[in-house]
Amino acid sequence: MKLLRTWVFCSSLLLGVLLVNGQETETLGTDLEVADSLEVKEKIPLSLRFGADLYRLIRSQSSDDFQGFEAVADLRIKKDLFIAAEVGSVEITEQSEQINLTTKGTYYKIGFDYNMFDNWEGMDNHVVLGLRLASSSHSQFVNAYTLLDRTPFWQDPETKISSGYATGERPNLNAFWLEFVAGFKVQVINNIYLGLSLRLNRLLSDTVPENFDNIYIPGFNKKTEDNKFGASFNYTLTYRIPFRFKK
Amino acid sequence: MDTLKFKILILFIGLGFFTQCEKDDICISSVEGTPDLIVLMLENKNNTQKTPSGFTIRPLGTENILAVSSGDSLALPLQITEAVTQFEFILNQGSQDENIDTLQINYQRVDQFINRACGYRANFILDQSPILILNSGNNWIKGAVILKDTISDETAAHLGILF
Repeated sequence: MKLLRTWVFCSSLLLGVLLVNGQETETLGTDLEVADSLEVKEKIPLSLRFGADLYRLIRSQSSDDFQGFEAVADLRIKKDLFIAAEVGSVEITEQSEQINLTTKGTYYKIGFDYNMFDNWEGMDNHVVLGLRLASSSHSQFVNAYTLLDRTPFWQDPETKISSGYATGERPNLNAFWLEFVAGFKVQVINNIYLGLSLRLNRLLSDTVPENFDNIYIPGFNKKTEDNKFGASFNYTLTYRIPFRFKK
Repeated sequence: MDTLKFKILILFIGLGFFTQCEKDDICISSVEGTPDLIVLMLENKNNTQKTPSGFTIRPLGTENILAVSSGDSLALPLQITEAVTQFEFILNQGSQDENIDTLQINYQRVDQFINRACGYRANFILDQSPILILNSGNNWIKGAVILKDTISDETAAHLGILF
């Protein structure tokens, strides 16, 4: 719920920016249309853009149970095609039903983005569909749990087991998944972009920890039961290096 | 026209947030929890199952009497915080020749992961010598046989008590 609210807030901010941008170009557009037929097609050069995910930065500041960072980068290789990558690290402590666990790890995602948005002259906004291959290496630490007891007799069923038994670290875990990306990026000022992307994840494989499960996978987020799909998003601020590689 | 398309698309992406449902994690009731120790009372002479006369069991340290229905197996709750649980096995309860034997069940606990929603359940492994009779003299309980040393469910009996 907290997450949802944060996102409604963030996306509404972004929506405002977009609307303003759209209006500006509409008035500009009428002036430029005359020149359109005379315009010489400009060659689209390679350009590199990099930045960070703001959501994870803010969440790390505001929550004791989350420490995370995600760096993003993309390289324009054709007019509408980008090679894109994300690298991140996460340390998260959460209460999942009966179990309190800490997941710690790193992940990387690499793939491409395709821009479907036709920009007006001078604009550089993106409505993007993309695909990523992603992989994480992480460890899970069971901090405490309560036992399922349908007929409690001796002890309070809320008795926490916080040492020994099934508690402890499950190191050297891996997960491998495919990510479908939908999002947009808006150039807010010259070379600075704000972006939002939603990701639908399809888990391909994961190492299942001993006497436990991958309840949280860095970069993939919550792994649900009987279901190979997950979801994640990012809210990025990126900077395009003004320097352009000539093709 | 393009800006309109753009806005519509953004609207759809925005809608994604609201429709992004998450399955609730509910531990369904058919999933078994921590099992009890299932005990059979066996007559020493011919190893046949029988309920002694006036037989009750009281977990030591409580006033509760476990219900004993005749000819049936008994479900004894084990403590998870200890490696032993003690019970009073009472013969001819209330009558002149009442005989109380105090039994200690020895075991080890191993917690087993069920799933995300249900978490863990305790399993128990009976020790090589599963019972210890704590009172001396005039014991009506003769011993015990392990029927199944891993207590992970309640479908079969784990321990036979000989009398």
